[in-house]
Amino acid sequence: MLSKICGFILIAFILAISNSEVLFAESADPWTHIFDSVHGFTEAAYGHKFAGDKLAQKNSYNLLEQRLQLKVAYRPQKPAWLASLNPEFFYKGDLLADEYKETLRYHIREGYGLVSPLSWMDVKLGRQILTWGTGDYLFINDVFPKDYESFFIGRDDEYLKAPSDAGKFSIHGRLVSMDVVVIPSFTPDVSIRGDRLSFYDNFLGRIAGKESNRIFTEPAVQPANTEIATRLYRNFGEYETAIYAFKGFFNQPVGIKNESTKEIFYPKLAVFGASIRGPAPSVGGIASGEIGYSDSLQDRSGKNRLIENSAMKYLLGYERDFPKDWRIGMQYFVEQMLNFDEFKANSQPGDIPRDEFRQLLTFRITKLFRLQTLEMSLFTFYCPTDSDAYIRPRLAWQVNDHWKFTVGANIFFGKHDWTQFGQLEGNDNFYIRVRYSF
Amino acid sequence: MKKILSASVIVFMLFASGFWAKNIYAQDTQSGKTVMNEMLLAYYYPQTDAKSEISMRIVNRQGQVRQRRLTMLRLNQTSGGDQFYYIYFHEPADVKGMSFLVLKHLGRDDDRWMYLPAIDLVKRISSSDKRTSFAGSDFTYEDVSGRALDEDAHELIGEESLGTYSCQVVKSTPKRPGETEFSYRKFWIDKVTHLSLKVEHYDLKGKLYKVYETQEIQTIQGTPTITKAVMKDIENERYTEIAMKNVSYNVGITSDIFQERLLRRPPRQWIGE
Repeated sequence: MLSKICGFILIAFILAISNSEVLFAESADPWTHIFDSVHGFTEAAYGHKFAGDKLAQKNSYNLLEQRLQLKVAYRPQKPAWLASLNPEFFYKGDLLADEYKETLRYHIREGYGLVSPLSWMDVKLGRQILTWGTGDYLFINDVFPKDYESFFIGRDDEYLKAPSDAGKFSIHGRLVSMDVVVIPSFTPDVSIRGDRLSFYDNFLGRIAGKESNRIFTEPAVQPANTEIATRLYRNFGEYETAIYAFKGFFNQPVGIKNESTKEIFYPKLAVFGASIRGPAPSVGGIASGEIGYSDSLQDRSGKNRLIENSAMKYLLGYERDFPKDWRIGMQYFVEQMLNFDEFKANSQPGDIPRDEFRQLLTFRITKLFRLQTLEMSLFTFYCPTDSDAYIRPRLAWQVNDHWKFTVGANIFFGKHDWTQFGQLEGNDNFYIRVRYSF
Repeated sequence: MKKILSASVIVFMLFASGFWAKNIYAQDTQSGKTVMNEMLLAYYYPQTDAKSEISMRIVNRQGQVRQRRLTMLRLNQTSGGDQFYYIYFHEPADVKGMSFLVLKHLGRDDDRWMYLPAIDLVKRISSSDKRTSFAGSDFTYEDVSGRALDEDAHELIGEESLGTYSCQVVKSTPKRPGETEFSYRKFWIDKVTHLSLKVEHYDLKGKLYKVYETQEIQTIQGTPTITKAVMKDIENERYTEIAMKNVSYNVGITSDIFQERLLRRPPRQWIGE
């Protein structure tokens, strides 16, 4: 009932603003200016579940929601001392009527202040989205939180990135630039818990849905648990290079605190890495490479079977455009488990089998039609070592400057129940989204 | 001897590029290449840097209109050579805040980056194909940032009047025919301002399919500047109108700003809200 009312409010709001342009153009009172600086969208989304495993809370669909996103930026011109810092305040919030969860939620996606205390320095404080690295849907040195649930059920790509409450300090030099990100309160990835998407629950030893009852323990908010991520970067000619360092926690609960009570936690993690990106010689297009050493600080020897081992991660990427708005992208990703002998020696029956080298290939193809208003794309993940795959076809039509229709699907394949994509096989879906931007 | 000759042509061109803006009656055009080079310098390279606010109206066959509003900053590294571009989108709402950084190179692919604020992503974009549509309009990337002089063979085929303007007509034929959707283009270049007033695009069968027309020229800070133009796609019965507002030259853009920071922290002193 509640969500129906909200849906109605959203529709009324759309109609109101779509008619308001003429009105506001005529009047020049201060309200016009304020209203002009508010932007956002309203969106209705529905994601139908193919005949799946019927384990989640609702089994005919896994996405039915209406969303209102509003954003506003404010750049004060006085007082003079503040204006001299080139300040910007930005706020972006989502009101979500989620019929799946039967809730009405308000979520602040971004809310930060950004100033330049010195000409070569930026400080961004507050809730913000953080991204770096070279991967396309694959992340090595981008240690910031992700929302894979949104990704798998057909929400916009924007929602793959979850915000962090952080301070970002950037120094821009002629020779080298640096970002230091301080995250006082740990934010995990949005985990798949079985209520909306079924997954492989290793405590139950099978695919589980809403009956999964794992207990998630997050690190306490205390100074010692502050996460720090840094990036040092510079260009060499047309090549961009960066080195990264991070100390904090795994964003996924890859540690087991207590097997009998099914308590899982986010172990301590350090990541050191580097990346390079630039034009591919002679063939054209953009090539990139990224590497990372993921140091599992609470299980450096690899002997503790309850905590994820350290790993080396390697990524090669290539993207190229072709005439008539064709674009392709390819990536090759390898995750090498370190101390693999210890992992094997300490594994017990029922533990998820793993390979020392997990390989993943991705392929993206995009074609634009009708003066770039119609976009057809297909993204494929294929993991030969796990024998699983995930495909994301999508068709997006920008009807005009306001309306956008998107249809797409998320389809999973797998030989085994416990692999990354194979475990999601019961969650195949197609979705449709209608968005009005203003 | 040949070397001396070509060296003197280069010196002449470099010299002229800084000079033509003032010496608008220099009409000693000999070949098509010279005329075309004058046009490129007058249109893509005037002054050292420039800031302009660009509005585009894209009208399709059904008469439906899409609009774009963006701010463009340009800095020449050398006149007639490499350039920096920065483009910030104000409208429509769904791309507001998106920005592009382009380092234009002659003789190799441009370096191009895009910033998507919603996911804080700086994306490197492959730019092998410069003939793609710019922001969904009838203009291509090449129309916006220029096609290198050496890509085509330029032939001066006559003189014609367009309204009150006296023009030189140049036929430009791609040297590598497979790479473009046109077989040749015809330019009407004003003798006084060296700006092109009309460009006809002929497809591979020799049929006229696209026409560019300048609709308004204003002299801004002593520089004749095209402030209104239209690109008509005859084949698909659609067109894009483009209008420049708040154009100013030599606003003090320096090369050190063209870095990743520019994308994440747009220069408000030039782009405004």
